[in-house]
Amino acid sequence: MDYDYIINTAIAITKGFKVTYSLLFTTLLLSLPLGLLIALARISKTRLLQYVSGTYIWLLRGTPLLLQVFFIYFGLPAFGITFDSMTAAIVAFSLNYAAYFAEIFRSGIQSIDRGQYESADVLGLTYPQTMKRIIVPQMAKRVLPPVSNEVITLVKDTALVFGIGLLDTLRTAQIIVTRDFNITAFIIAGIFYLINTLILTIVFNRLEQKYSYYYD
Amino acid sequence: MNILKIKNVSKKFGALEVLKNINLEITRGEVVAIIGPSGSGKSTLLRCLIRLVNIDKGSIEIDGKSMVDQDDTGVSIYSSEKDIRVLRKKMGMVFQNFNLFPHKSVLENIIEAPLTVNRTIREEAESTADKLLAKVGLSDKRNSFPCELSGGQKQRVAIARALAMNPAIMLFDEPTSALDPELTGEVLRVMKALAEEHMTMLVVTHEMAFAREVADRVIFMDLGEIIEQGKPEDVFGNPTHPRTQAFLGQILR
Ligand SMILES: Nc1ncnc2c1ncn2[C@@H]1O[C@H](COP(=O)(O)OP(=O)(O)OP(=O)(O)O)[C@@H](O)[C@H]1O
Ligand SMILES: [Mg+2]
Repeated sequence: MDYDYIINTAIAITKGFKVTYSLLFTTLLLSLPLGLLIALARISKTRLLQYVSGTYIWLLRGTPLLLQVFFIYFGLPAFGITFDSMTAAIVAFSLNYAAYFAEIFRSGIQSIDRGQYESADVLGLTYPQTMKRIIVPQMAKRVLPPVSNEVITLVKDTALVFGIGLLDTLRTAQIIVTRDFNITAFIIAGIFYLINTLILTIVFNRLEQKYSYYYD
Repeated sequence: MNILKIKNVSKKFGALEVLKNINLEITRGEVVAIIGPSGSGKSTLLRCLIRLVNIDKGSIEIDGKSMVDQDDTGVSIYSSEKDIRVLRKKMGMVFQNFNLFPHKSVLENIIEAPLTVNRTIREEAESTADKLLAKVGLSDKRNSFPCELSGGQKQRVAIARALAMNPAIMLFDEPTSALDPELTGEVLRVMKALAEEHMTMLVVTHEMAFAREVADRVIFMDLGEIIEQGKPEDVFGNPTHPRTQAFLGQILR
């Protein structure tokens, strides 16, 4: 085994980490709160909000993520809106993942017993107070497993941005493989994804433990 | 003075008439037990009073102020949301299933509404909560979570939580029905102590011994109507209506 080659290749691949990580973390930062807002719209009593959020979720979950990336990067300029490739990727990923998170949050919220709303209501809490202090905190505990699933999927989905020319981890590895006729770079990239999903799995397990101070 | 005035109250769920022209007046400090078969509308009556559900017809007056009035045809017209908020705050409610907030400690359950609704300062809210916990005999559970409590303890916390908002009227919807028989006593004792402090109480219950001993008045409901009411010794000892006789015959057998 040529250790120098492996190390040099690994170093070369780290150049792709920046794209992968910025996309991953920015997407999480934007899509989680957006997803919560869409979930709240979905369960609101206002017909219009239900309808708009329902359509949003249907559109964003019903078409391929890569198509959405293409649409935002190649399609929107036709309407006079242009993004650089990284921004386009972040926008598309955030909008897409928000739709998935919205559905997870909605089902989480709807799994909370009606009695929680009623007791908050008779104590005088307003609806926003009830959501913020009673319902959403309990929902957060319940949705950890499916959210963890989505986040791990997102780590791997970031590789889709090769489609608009971004040099993420996988694309960087692919360039090296093509140049060197050697698949070592792919193996290193694979290990990179595995390590990241492992870390995230551990983080989510910790979160679940942190929430285990109560059960209901 | 009557703290509660319920006039011609009717409520339908779809085609089902759950409350039919209910009339009821309750004086301050009175303890009223509401009994009756399943589906007779007992819970619905309490839920209408605290406006968890809206009534269709009739009026409700709380502490001399109208929460919901009726027009010439009897159709209910609710007061403004702001006024209703003020009136609802005069009532506390305890549910069969406790409905404690599972993610909050006993103390946090009790101070939640004082802090968020009344904007009481924390120290004050906590000292009130500690007094209430002592009153329901749970000072040692202050920092426990609901999942660590027995059913009877949960219900006592729920009572303390409702009392923390300093209500004038307490509504109890079968507070002991979800409890193992050996745990009902501790909850009933707390309720009895409350009655002795002259809290106005409406208690839907299957605990006939409690109703007999603590209530000033017993109301028998069936099929959405008040069939019979009176002093416990009269209703239990000498029921006049055949449906009351049948119900009591079954339950006291
Ligand atoms: N939200 C609702 N929607 C439709 N029907 C309802 C609703 N709430 C209650 N009902 C119906 O109204 C009737 C009266 O219900 P309610 O809960 O008031 O009875 P109850 O006297 O409290 O009975 P129980 O002793 O079983 O608690 C029942 O037939 C019930 O199915
Ligand atoms: Mg009931």
